[in-house]
Amino acid sequence: MSQRRGARMIAMATLVVMVGLLLVLVNASPNPSENADSPLLGQPAPAIETTTLDNKQFNLARRKGSWVVLNFFNSTCVPCRNEHPLLLEFAATEALATDKAELYTVINDDSDEAVAAYFQTFGGDWPKLRDQNGSIAISFGIAKVPETWIIDPNGYVRLRIAGQLSDGLLEEQLSALRSSFG
Amino acid sequence: MMITKSKVKQPTVWVVMLIIVGLLLAVGASRDGGPRTQQERVDAISKRLACPTCQGESVYVSRASASVSLREEIARQVGSGTRSDDQIVAYVEQRFGGQVLLVPRSSGLDALVWALPVAALICALVGLISAFRRWKVSATAEISDAERELVQKALDDF
Amino acid sequence: MLASNGVSGPLGRALLLVGIVGAVFGALAAISSARSQDQKIVRLIPRFALLSFVAAVSAFATMEYAMITRDFSLEYVQKVGSTSTPPLYNFAAVWSALEGSILLWVLVLSGYTLAIVFWLGKRLDDLLSRWAMAVMFIVEAFFFLLSFGPASPFKAGAAGVFDGPGPNPLLQNHVLVMFHPPLLYLGYVGMTVPFAFAIAALVTGRLGEGWLLATRRWTLFAWGFLTVGIVLGGWWSYEVLGWSGVWAWDPVENASLLPWITATAYIHSVLVQERRGMLRVWNLSLLVSTFSLTILGTFLTRSGVLNSVHSFSESNIGPWLLTFFAIVVIVSIGLIGWRGDRLRSPGSIDSAFSREGAFLANNVLFSLFAFVVLLGTVFPLIVEALQDRNIVVGAPFFDRMTMPIGIALLTVMAIAPVLPWRKASGELLRDRLFWPAWCGIGTLAVCVAIGASGLAPLLAFGLGGFAIGSALRQVILATRRQGWRGLVGRTNGGMIVHVGVILIAVSLAASNSYTRSQELDLAVGTAANFGGHTFELVKYVEQIDARRSAVSALIKIDGGQAYAPAITKYTNLGINVGTPSVKTGIFEDLYLTLEPPVLKDSGKARIKVFIKPLVLWLWIGGGLMAMGTVLAAFPGRRRRPTAPTSAMLPVGDNDNEEAVGV
Repeated sequence: MSQRRGARMIAMATLVVMVGLLLVLVNASPNPSENADSPLLGQPAPAIETTTLDNKQFNLARRKGSWVVLNFFNSTCVPCRNEHPLLLEFAATEALATDKAELYTVINDDSDEAVAAYFQTFGGDWPKLRDQNGSIAISFGIAKVPETWIIDPNGYVRLRIAGQLSDGLLEEQLSALRSSFG
Repeated sequence: MMITKSKVKQPTVWVVMLIIVGLLLAVGASRDGGPRTQQERVDAISKRLACPTCQGESVYVSRASASVSLREEIARQVGSGTRSDDQIVAYVEQRFGGQVLLVPRSSGLDALVWALPVAALICALVGLISAFRRWKVSATAEISDAERELVQKALDDF
Repeated sequence: MLASNGVSGPLGRALLLVGIVGAVFGALAAISSARSQDQKIVRLIPRFALLSFVAAVSAFATMEYAMITRDFSLEYVQKVGSTSTPPLYNFAAVWSALEGSILLWVLVLSGYTLAIVFWLGKRLDDLLSRWAMAVMFIVEAFFFLLSFGPASPFKAGAAGVFDGPGPNPLLQNHVLVMFHPPLLYLGYVGMTVPFAFAIAALVTGRLGEGWLLATRRWTLFAWGFLTVGIVLGGWWSYEVLGWSGVWAWDPVENASLLPWITATAYIHSVLVQERRGMLRVWNLSLLVSTFSLTILGTFLTRSGVLNSVHSFSESNIGPWLLTFFAIVVIVSIGLIGWRGDRLRSPGSIDSAFSREGAFLANNVLFSLFAFVVLLGTVFPLIVEALQDRNIVVGAPFFDRMTMPIGIALLTVMAIAPVLPWRKASGELLRDRLFWPAWCGIGTLAVCVAIGASGLAPLLAFGLGGFAIGSALRQVILATRRQGWRGLVGRTNGGMIVHVGVILIAVSLAASNSYTRSQELDLAVGTAANFGGHTFELVKYVEQIDARRSAVSALIKIDGGQAYAPAITKYTNLGINVGTPSVKTGIFEDLYLTLEPPVLKDSGKARIKVFIKPLVLWLWIGGGLMAMGTVLAAFPGRRRRPTAPTSAMLPVGDNDNEEAVGV
């Protein structure tokens, strides 16, 4: 291989690599999309056995037969507080339904007192589950709060909503899942 | 620069030195580093996982609360002694998704990140070898008859 | 605090506009004087350099004034300023976020431009100097434009704001934040200088060695500061972040390392060009790569495409930087291709076992190193572009890939200093490498004797000893011959830098392989043991002020001095930051962190103890590198009598011979 041709090949190769790099960088988006994906979707929900703030036992397996909505919550997290009224509305609507979905709050990295005080002030009488050591959050793969999960009556994970709920989103998603559930 | 023709620096001495090095390396490399503490096992596992909220830092490095609770969970599982390192990593991956793995998998597109440096190394070695060979060839250049005539003519004119 | 007066914003922007004008007209003056040889226009160049420098200093001062007086009319001060930040950290807060850091870049770059003008003095008459000034002005204009437009720190903020969150708590912890960014920038931005001269050489076609020699000290200066900046970054990571490591292969760290790698390759490879006129394309490519990598690195870390612990907020600065990067790369490759015929070297490398051969191998190794780091850093972007999925390439990849490269570099460092130019015989090598090799064997034997294990670290230790032997051999021979002058000059200073590098490599090998850690539950009165040391909790100490409340646990190590790892809560941000406490020793550091939950009234504490071997050697190595760089900047044995700017390139020209050591 002559020196000229070798040099030209190297120059060409460098140019190709540079153009490729530029294309990749131009395409790179600074906003990684919020992935509501999870490897747990369509899988049996991870086991949860814990106590509620009222010191009653809670076992997720026992809730089979009903739709279960888990909301991961922290009393200082701003989007959690923002979505709280929507959860109150949801709970009120479900209370009147025949096949009512059960709403549970999973406490994330927060003290019992703070959560109890929050619910005292802002309302919401559904059970709040303690998460000792954060193991429930880890078994669901929760990195940031708030997150809302829907589990079907057979105990399978059907939906994950990451981030603050928007108006009517939870009701809409749940009714879609209900109608497709046979 | 004078090169002392010392007997000590003969090739045989170097062979002996190489053998000594080989022996030392063999002794050291086969040695066990000692039992790992539980904390060291936790550290090793958390170095293989990425913090789910930080995008880039490992669970070992990150001080975020998600990392802290992950480290605690890993510590719990290590403490219970039921799972191996790989099983614990798989446990976390099952829940948080593939993006939590810090070591790219060796299959699919991810394998490129391991393969490309090796390919680059091979290209580099091939390039170096061919360059050296080319230089050796040009160092022993042939003189053509026309060039000899030219030189002869110039000498005659001089 | 003084009420916001609303003047800083417009004043700052006006000053930046002046700077843009100065840089643009400076570039025009330089280019037109280069083409037309007009003497009157040449005299304008220093004036425009001074104008843009004064504008940059004033703009920076305006920003600092706004920060110090807590002028919350500016959006930037709203972002990183706070009434409760101490003055020192407040001053440094200016460069804690994107806009201020670009302003700092402008300041440093305009300083370099002015300094180059002064240094050139009468040599501005030379065509090559004028083109170099043109390039410097163009780059300066670009950054002024960035600071005026998309990354403006002088934008007016929302009305009615009277306090801010202050800089990130991690940047309020340690005084290093005053030094690390400016020093790093002195290095990073300083790489513009050799780049400008390289472009000038390509444009004028004067590709002889003169311009390399002339800019040698500038390159060394920038490289030295870049090295110190990177080492200080590692020190900060160790002392402040609390994970007990010095390098996490974080994208921002990689962005600073990449130009360092190519610049290091350059300062070695340039010796071959000076001595034998070879490797010209390599040197130009390395210089161009160094500068391009500084721009690419800035893009990767400032545009928000990759997030890291250094994360600056996103802004629309990305497309600007990317475009500039593309222009730099295309223009440089184009120029090198255009001048290709003049770049062919008159000589060739006779043997692989020669100093030229070693430097060529060195270039290849460093290029491979840069390739691996760059690949790992951008690979997540590639995967995202092709498969729309997020992956992370973390420390395990980089550690595994760079380890063999490190071993190879140690080997080259061991052998290369004794290699003569042109050709080495086996006999010569055996003679010169004899004692260094025994240094290596001795080191290896000692390590095996004290119980070290693992092939990779042992190889590193053995080769490290070998390489230190080679380096010291050179220095000892030189001092024997020349006395104290044997310590200065390029070769000898370089050998001291090598010793520093080897100490760093050995330290990293040791701490990567032999760090031990344990979590200990302590109670007042009872001591816990780990790694041959005892740890005893004395008491908790609390420190509360307006800004933060810190709880530290006083731990007595081996019954002696007490060390206080702490957890600090920053009240107005709600963030907890852990601060480690380190007992430094010659052979090992004891690194303590306090683990949550902190129960300060219980008399109990949970701490994590890391035993990190040889960390002190890392800082000693860094210091040696800095010292060696200063020594290398001194003139060598004989001053070069040739004129610093190059003549037109005749074929086979071997001007500028320099005998530097043997």
